Amino acid sequence: MTLRSIVYLLIGFVFITPLLWMVSTSLKYENQVFERPFVFIHLDNVNWSNYAHILTQTDFLTWLWNSLFVVLVSSCFRLLLAALGGYAFGYLRFRYSEAIFFCFLAALFIPYQLTLLPQFISFRFIGLLDTHWALILPNTIDILSIFLMRQFFLSFPKELIHAAYIEGSGIFRSFARVALPLARTPLLTLGLLSFFMIWDQYFQPLIFLHSKSLYTIPLGLQSFQTQFGKQYAMQMALACLAIIPVLGVFLALQKQFVESIVSSGLKG
Amino acid sequence: MATTATTKAGRFGGRQRSRTYSLERLERRAGLLFALPALAGFVLFILIPMVCVLLLSLYKVDLMTYTFEFKQFQYYDKMLHDADFWKSVRNTLEYMLIYVPLTLALGIGMALILNSRMRARGLVRTFFIVPYITTYVATLVVWNVFLHPTEGPVNTLLMSLGVDNPPQYMVDTHWALPMLALIGAWKDVGYHCILFLAALQGVSRDYYEAADIDGANRFQRFRQITLPLISPTSFYLLLITIIGGLQAFYQMALLTKGGPAFSTTTLTYHIYRSAFEFYNFSYASAVGMFLFVLTLALIAINWFAQKKWVFYQ
Repeated sequence: MTLRSIVYLLIGFVFITPLLWMVSTSLKYENQVFERPFVFIHLDNVNWSNYAHILTQTDFLTWLWNSLFVVLVSSCFRLLLAALGGYAFGYLRFRYSEAIFFCFLAALFIPYQLTLLPQFISFRFIGLLDTHWALILPNTIDILSIFLMRQFFLSFPKELIHAAYIEGSGIFRSFARVALPLARTPLLTLGLLSFFMIWDQYFQPLIFLHSKSLYTIPLGLQSFQTQFGKQYAMQMALACLAIIPVLGVFLALQKQFVESIVSSGLKG
Repeated sequence: MATTATTKAGRFGGRQRSRTYSLERLERRAGLLFALPALAGFVLFILIPMVCVLLLSLYKVDLMTYTFEFKQFQYYDKMLHDADFWKSVRNTLEYMLIYVPLTLALGIGMALILNSRMRARGLVRTFFIVPYITTYVATLVVWNVFLHPTEGPVNTLLMSLGVDNPPQYMVDTHWALPMLALIGAWKDVGYHCILFLAALQGVSRDYYEAADIDGANRFQRFRQITLPLISPTSFYLLLITIIGGLQAFYQMALLTKGGPAFSTTTLTYHIYRSAFEFYNFSYASAVGMFLFVLTLALIAINWFAQKKWVFYQ
């Protein structure tokens, strides 16, 4: 069992070698990047200046702020639409709700690059191009999120809602006071998933944004790579900084994250 | 209880002819209201764009004046006679042939590792998931240097081991596409690993005990018990992987720009180039429609093929 554990641990390390190399290189000077023999870290001579340079001399903090803004606003709207829509399709129901929901599900097969083409033209027409709203608006609707909330409300106990009716709540109040608080777990799940998903988006900012001051982190990374093609240690430091926020959220909420993947996948 | 509930609710409905009827009607009405934001989002950002793509592929668009000119199937005709298009179809299928089986196989292998009795399981699990959650573009920036043909650590290592002509990866027409598929699999496999692991943990021990009594060896146990019992998960992941593989774009955009010599121009990259480099949105839409139909076809084939191998308990 011990030998097997060691082998498995080694496999794990090999799997993330590129990321370990990234961390190692980000703490080196440019002339040490391809040095031989390879040293993981020069303990007596750790180079923090790459990080200092990026934080003070580049637009990194602007990109970070832009990314956080887009991710948080999109996620809030997405959760709102998913909670309301899930309650409508899963609990309240209405005429043709099943048929409409089936159309929603069919849309899962549409490649996202496809709908971006007319979105680009119409955003250009109404002047939304080169604004964060071009990223946020299409992100508010997410079929998978609505699907998950619908699954949750399908099995929601009717007695709880009826008890709220007896106490004099209307439909909206019983939703806000009874259903929504009990949907905390799936909503947290969705919030987590959409955070990672929207944070990662590159295609949308690539076509919608032109101004450097509006760049999100993935786009900033790419522009940096083109600009500083040969400064590898600097690039690695920037990649590290780009990963730290998501890695932090992941490590803090790893258990919930794994559970949310499982719950979103197995029912899907 | 139900009658009192409907009395209260009836107040909002106005009429109280039939109490249960009015609660139901009230909920239905509210249901439409609750669904309205989602419906609006769906219509605005999925349905209308989808109709527009179809129209775009039939019309010539002038982006300066926003005028449209009907061209019938001219763009589809152009597409079918475009060597670059057929090259991108080939590249997409080649990418899929590597990416899909590789991701599924790696996912199941890693899940088997995590499902075995071992120490430091939490740490290894974290390692397996980390690429999946990290920012894709950031990992591509790393891979770009990591696989640098002359200076990158991989080839430096290979050369110090005595390999004289190590692969040139992104600048070699034979290596580029498989490497992109490999990187795609590396990035996505964490998701597969989590779901396969959940499926493996759902397999009841009774089956394995029965198999032990029958004297089945490890391989037989895996073939005859594990694989059939996790097949619904495998099927779901197969569909997800097909959809994801057809939409792969980031690696091409950041590592190869579709090159060298168009060897990594997949359908998505062909669409991107046509629309945002040559500003031919109509042609891009036609290719996009083809990609959509290809997605549907591959899903349909697998949907019908699932009866042969997916086992629902």
